[in-house]
Amino acid sequence: MSTAQHVENFLQLLTAGILTGVIYGLMCAGLSLIFGVMRVINFAQGEFMMLGMYVAWYCFGIATGFSFFPELIAPYAAALVAGPVVFLLGLVGHKTLISRVTGTSSARLDSEGHYAQLILTLGISLVLANGAQAWFGSAPVSISTPLSSTPWIVGPLRGEEILIFVNQAQSFAALVALAVVAAFLVVMGRSRLGRSLRAAADNPEAAVYMGIDVDRAYRIAFGLGVGITAIGGGLLASTNPFQPHIGIEYVIVMYAGVVLGGLGSLGGAFLGGLIIGLVRELSPLVLPTQLQNTSIFVCFLIIVLLRPQGLFGKAARRA
Amino acid sequence: MLELERIHAAYGEHGVLHGVSIRVGRGEFVAVVGPNGAGKSTLFKAISGTVAVTHGTMRFEGADLLSTEPSRRPHLGIAHVPEGRQVFPSLSVAENLLIGAETEAGRRAWRENEERILAWFPVLAERRQQAAGTLSGGEQQMLAIARGLASAPKLLLLDEPSMGLAPAVADAIFERIVEIHREGRIGVLLVEQRVAEALHFASRAYVLETGRVVLEGATGPLRDDDRIRQAYLGM
Amino acid sequence: MFATEAPKHWPWILAFGLAYASLALVVDNSYYQLIMTNVLVWAVVGMAWNLLCGYSGLISFGHAAFFGLGAYFVVLAQVAWGLTPWIGIPIAGVLGSLAGLIVGVPTFRLRGHYFALAMLAYPLALLYVFEWLGHQEVAIPMERESPAAFMQFESGRVYIFIGLAFVLLAMGVTRVLEHSRYGMSLTAIKQDEIAAEASGIGALEWKLRAIALSGGMAAAIGGFYAVVQLIVTPLSVFGVLVSAQALIVVMFGGVATPWGAVIGAVTLVPLSAWLDARFGAELPGLQGVVYGIAIIAVILLAPEGVFWKLRDLLARKGLIADTATLAVTESAEAASARFRIEREGSRLLEVKNLNKTFGGLRAVDDVSLEVRRGEILGIIGPNGAGKTTLFNLINGFIRPDRGEVLLAGTRISHKRPNRICALGLGRTFQVVKPFARMSIADNVIIGAYVHAASLDEARRTARDALAVVGLGESAGHVAGGASNRNLRRMEIARALATRPEILLLDEVFAGLTGAETAELMELLRRLAGLGITLVIIEHTMKAMVRLVDRFVVLDHGRVLATGSPDEITRNPAVIEAYLGRKWLDDARA
Repeated sequence: MSTAQHVENFLQLLTAGILTGVIYGLMCAGLSLIFGVMRVINFAQGEFMMLGMYVAWYCFGIATGFSFFPELIAPYAAALVAGPVVFLLGLVGHKTLISRVTGTSSARLDSEGHYAQLILTLGISLVLANGAQAWFGSAPVSISTPLSSTPWIVGPLRGEEILIFVNQAQSFAALVALAVVAAFLVVMGRSRLGRSLRAAADNPEAAVYMGIDVDRAYRIAFGLGVGITAIGGGLLASTNPFQPHIGIEYVIVMYAGVVLGGLGSLGGAFLGGLIIGLVRELSPLVLPTQLQNTSIFVCFLIIVLLRPQGLFGKAARRA
Repeated sequence: MLELERIHAAYGEHGVLHGVSIRVGRGEFVAVVGPNGAGKSTLFKAISGTVAVTHGTMRFEGADLLSTEPSRRPHLGIAHVPEGRQVFPSLSVAENLLIGAETEAGRRAWRENEERILAWFPVLAERRQQAAGTLSGGEQQMLAIARGLASAPKLLLLDEPSMGLAPAVADAIFERIVEIHREGRIGVLLVEQRVAEALHFASRAYVLETGRVVLEGATGPLRDDDRIRQAYLGM
Repeated sequence: MFATEAPKHWPWILAFGLAYASLALVVDNSYYQLIMTNVLVWAVVGMAWNLLCGYSGLISFGHAAFFGLGAYFVVLAQVAWGLTPWIGIPIAGVLGSLAGLIVGVPTFRLRGHYFALAMLAYPLALLYVFEWLGHQEVAIPMERESPAAFMQFESGRVYIFIGLAFVLLAMGVTRVLEHSRYGMSLTAIKQDEIAAEASGIGALEWKLRAIALSGGMAAAIGGFYAVVQLIVTPLSVFGVLVSAQALIVVMFGGVATPWGAVIGAVTLVPLSAWLDARFGAELPGLQGVVYGIAIIAVILLAPEGVFWKLRDLLARKGLIADTATLAVTESAEAASARFRIEREGSRLLEVKNLNKTFGGLRAVDDVSLEVRRGEILGIIGPNGAGKTTLFNLINGFIRPDRGEVLLAGTRISHKRPNRICALGLGRTFQVVKPFARMSIADNVIIGAYVHAASLDEARRTARDALAVVGLGESAGHVAGGASNRNLRRMEIARALATRPEILLLDEVFAGLTGAETAELMELLRRLAGLGITLVIIEHTMKAMVRLVDRFVVLDHGRVLATGSPDEITRNPAVIEAYLGRKWLDDARA
């Protein structure tokens, strides 16, 4: 390949990486609220994302069937609907199952209490993934929008040599993801709700002394976290085919992003997810394309083994 | 205002308090002293509901505390300033105060309260936007007290406010506590290892040893009681 | 659990083997035979998982990595080199052990959920690697010439017998190991890694042994699985369901016993197979749902698993005897003699210019002190003075920023806690750290293992240590339920069993009543009489003034004063640090 072709190839992958990474970042921000901030381990986060994909797919089917929405907006509206639906599922799941092994009641399970969350959510993940397979079947489905087939073309740059194709569907999805992340950060950073959630996460005992209902705070945080991730899933579904077992790989993607971004920082988790997306899309430069996902797993291992406190410095140890 | 009758409390199977009775009158300044492991912090946690009470009764202004959810108790007017300060480290100073003001009374009174609190602790006004975790130990202690005051309490529970602080800083904080008690007409229940300061400022005191009250009374006579010196210095 | 003669498990294991074999002789249907073989496969995978995770408490989501490597090795070795599984499976076992070590060395730096997730990443990465290598579906070549030499049999029954041999072997290995130093050390690590290190256990070494064994067992049975299934795909051997099944059969049946995996596999494998056969056509994925529900139910209803639940139930009804106790018959005086230390040299412990800063706070600020052989030294100071940090620096839990610690002239400040313990420095903790689920006797045996070559010797030492502290009668009780008084004594016995020259005691009097304090002081004097040097941290001087030879007073991380009890209690600086400045002012007034 000529230099220009190399550059073109790199820019093409970089564009794809940024567009994918923004959506990963959104999903990571959701997990970060649950794991990074609240320190609740949710192994089933990938399955909640998968549910978000199917909810979006289902809503998209209805919307286009009755032509509620212009076809261009429908996929994104459907993804946004997935948020509140999965939020409610998260509230219920937390109240009925997860709250029994976290927070105040977990002390009773003594040394194994810590693992109870991990194993319980593994169980939830198996039930959701396999239940979805029983319900929806295992054939991959996708949300097709006409935008997928019409790219924007950037260029030609540098005298006819470099042409970059930017997938329109991915670009819109990335824009929606950015908007959701921004709204999420504002809510968490500025609102009373966000302040209470952060206080409960910082020091649950002191939060009780401030009159905060900590159990409720944890429940809302869990619902919000899976809801945000589900929107990310819904957006991802508008450009990628998916099936019920897609969650397990994304659980690694999300934890990689959260740890990379530094525990406790929602913005950091977003950047972490963005980097993971870039790693995935740029990996074909040095690795066979079949190993794209392997590159993420290796990346995750390197992060947790070498820099568990994350890239953006914040010490993992809390005061 | 606060009445504890024969309170027993335990962590799991290990009893820590064995029938402690304590009262604090409206606007009173009462101290609880005693060696490590006597159960002083546990007593506060029992009042706030983060330690299980197995027997006994507990009333605050007539309301039965034991049947009140722990997270509702601050709304009744009890502000617990816990041992080791426990500010919310990633929240800013201003946010810590706002969290303190989340009680019903605290939110109503926030405007005038904020002014008063910042007058007592001017350094917090300077540090407003700083994350609480980056404050010095003394500033964190001031913030913890200020955060408690933001809830517009009737009773302030102060757990070892001088812990780990240099003597001069501890002195400044004690001065402020006395001022708050006097000007704010707020009841204070103080747990303190600096017995002398505690007995100097409080009007009444309880001496706790291995989960039981072994001495109580007005602080004047207690100061001259050799048993206190003995409890600490052993001679 | 360990100190006692094990309840007789061997007849039960044999009985299970015979019963299963008899059932195999009756069943003719080849589908049922396959299910019976699969039950055994998952029982062994479960036992492999249990060998690491059940005893150490680390949760692995990645045993599929070992299982899959074993399966692929056996298949590919036969395809490429014509290697028979009879040889391939043992080699797979060795490879699995190696893989375990390779994975273990970096991954054991992680704890809890990080460990679990990192372990998950290994099989997922391998899954794609094997796909990329083009092994999407590899079949075992049919050997028509001499099928038996290649583990190929007409009748499914033979596979059941081979599987059964695997299960019995795995049960035997587990049974032997759990009553050895292996089981005790890992169990101690699981319950309190810090206390385990302080009691002389090298946590990393034991975990590596465990993962090597566990990985080997999983890889070997993976190889057998490939032979039974005839076809290997990345998803069927590296998939998440493999790792999940390993964990779930054990969690369901009960961890830390060979029976757990067997109970789990015997229940769940046929159940999910039956449901799959019945409804699988309309509802694919039912198998995973069954496992998911099983594990959710177990965590919420019986987190200890079926085996332990049943055992508790039977014990409560008096149908099986509770564990007997380590019989302590000797008097404290007679037992004490065996801990006597007669060594020369006056300076036993030297702390030189020790410094430790935590995020700007000078916890220990240029502390130097000397402990003379045979003395009782009291370290006192208000809360937050840096006393416990000083102990943690001395016994190796944390590394100093500057300065050093010498024990009998040997520099110990950069050694690991278990090495420092073995060199003769024992300690107890401010908040007692018992191995809560173990008996008091077992807690002490853990300590005794530092210098004991065999279980018998460790038991003898533990018995002596228990006699010295006067816990003979409670030796069989579970530590978690013991009183504060007994826990404090148990910690002293555990430290004593490591045959220390010097004991660091962190607030041993905290929470004790007056009578208990007097009793404990007598015990400490007896230990000192044996030549054991004692360093005691206390918050209050009460009790201490009548016990110690010398005081060191710490305040704000620095040495404030040193001297005899008499000097110290008269020192104005000490009184101020203790009772507050106002004390002196008020006294003067």
